[in-house]
Amino acid sequence: MKPEIERVLEVCAIGLMGDVAPHVSPSYRQATVLSTAVVLTSVREELDRIAERRVVENRALRELFRDALPAVEQTALRDRLAAAAGESDTAFRISELEAANARLRGLLIELHVLVESLDSPQAKRVESRIWRELQASTERRKLSLDSF
Amino acid sequence: MSDLAERLAEYARHRLPEASDVRVSDLDRIHGGASRETYRFRLHADGEPRRLILRRDPPGSLIETERAIEFNAYRAFHGTAVPVPEPLWLEEDPRWLDHPFFVMQELPDLEARPQMVVAPPYDAHAEKLGLQKWNILGEISKADPAVLGLVGVMEPVGPEAAWQRELAQWERVIDEDELSPQPIIRAAIRWLRAHPPPPAQKISVVHGDYRTGNFLFDTEGRIHAILDWEMAHLGDPLEDLAWGINRVWCWARDDRVGGLLPKPRAIAIWEESSGLRADPDALHWWELFSCVKGQGIWLSSAKEFQQGKNQDPILALAAWMQINGQDRAALELLGELR
Repeated sequence: MKPEIERVLEVCAIGLMGDVAPHVSPSYRQATVLSTAVVLTSVREELDRIAERRVVENRALRELFRDALPAVEQTALRDRLAAAAGESDTAFRISELEAANARLRGLLIELHVLVESLDSPQAKRVESRIWRELQASTERRKLSLDSF
Repeated sequence: MSDLAERLAEYARHRLPEASDVRVSDLDRIHGGASRETYRFRLHADGEPRRLILRRDPPGSLIETERAIEFNAYRAFHGTAVPVPEPLWLEEDPRWLDHPFFVMQELPDLEARPQMVVAPPYDAHAEKLGLQKWNILGEISKADPAVLGLVGVMEPVGPEAAWQRELAQWERVIDEDELSPQPIIRAAIRWLRAHPPPPAQKISVVHGDYRTGNFLFDTEGRIHAILDWEMAHLGDPLEDLAWGINRVWCWARDDRVGGLLPKPRAIAIWEESSGLRADPDALHWWELFSCVKGQGIWLSSAKEFQQGKNQDPILALAAWMQINGQDRAALELLGELR
């Protein structure tokens, strides 16, 4: 078995910080090595959840769209929401999950704009659900190095 | 690097035609100036060495700015209550160093890294640093742009239009640079448009990036210079105050804005120093705006790195560290972070 990717990145980052950077000059190059090591540390943290975060979020967005349909009277948007709600992730390359996530988040913006303009209790419930999902999306993306 | 040193020396000889034995030594690039390439060097002329800084436009950068504005901001504030390095030469002709650049005084042996304010020995001086930081911003806000000679250098704006111009500019940056849809910051932009702030109390010089990390300080907690004026413009002075208290700059990971002082104290010091009022509703608008502006910067840095225009890892690091935190800061201000 090969060493796990996370372990490789961890060792590389530690090595860059502790063994390589102190011996690099000029100072700009040294700081570049340190920045690279910190980026590797974040990539390592992201790696374990990289597919799960996107799968979970895509599923949550599709459920949200399905539940929002009764509040949406605009036919064109409702049809697109219904179509998106009926999809599921079948390809698990990160690039494909990410592309699906981008499509869904773009549609979420359109839905958000619409329900903000409506006064019905249904629309307000959808809006509230969108805010909860947006908060959850930042929880999913949190890294230990995040500023906030 | 030696080629750059020789070309810089050639330029210095052009600027100092009467001087003898003009040469450049110890040219060393400094990390962190992602919007400019920044170098320290020694200029020798007539047997006298002087420590100087070269700021040169890179091919791609965090933010696209006018080098003349930054240089003129240094020139306007040099010798005032706002400490800045002495600016020497601005050169916009690319024949000398391929890109526009300027040269200014180096203030050596000082610290600027933001994370250092929460580390010994600097952390013992957080109160002192915070007091100076917000007092100096008050001086910037209080200053008359016309007296400083900056009217005509910076684009004029009226008190009613300052917020609209800034919001439009940063929304445009996000439109152009986002690599994927940004539902939180788009909601913030809609809220800002639906709840405009009152007109600016006055039109001030806005530093544009006034935060811990953009001033030089020593081990005794004294601030020696305010740096990085590349985003300076005329506008609402609350813009700088709001930017400086943005949650993403809470380096101590507590309630101290900029890692130095609690937010109410920072605001009170600025009000006292500037003679202006930080109306809570207006400040809230500018705080949320600062999240939009911040996200514009992080999304631009992500795009620059992704597309290979500038592959300094600081751009990748800025995006990785800040985009999610900036979204959370916006959610908090919108009352949607529970």
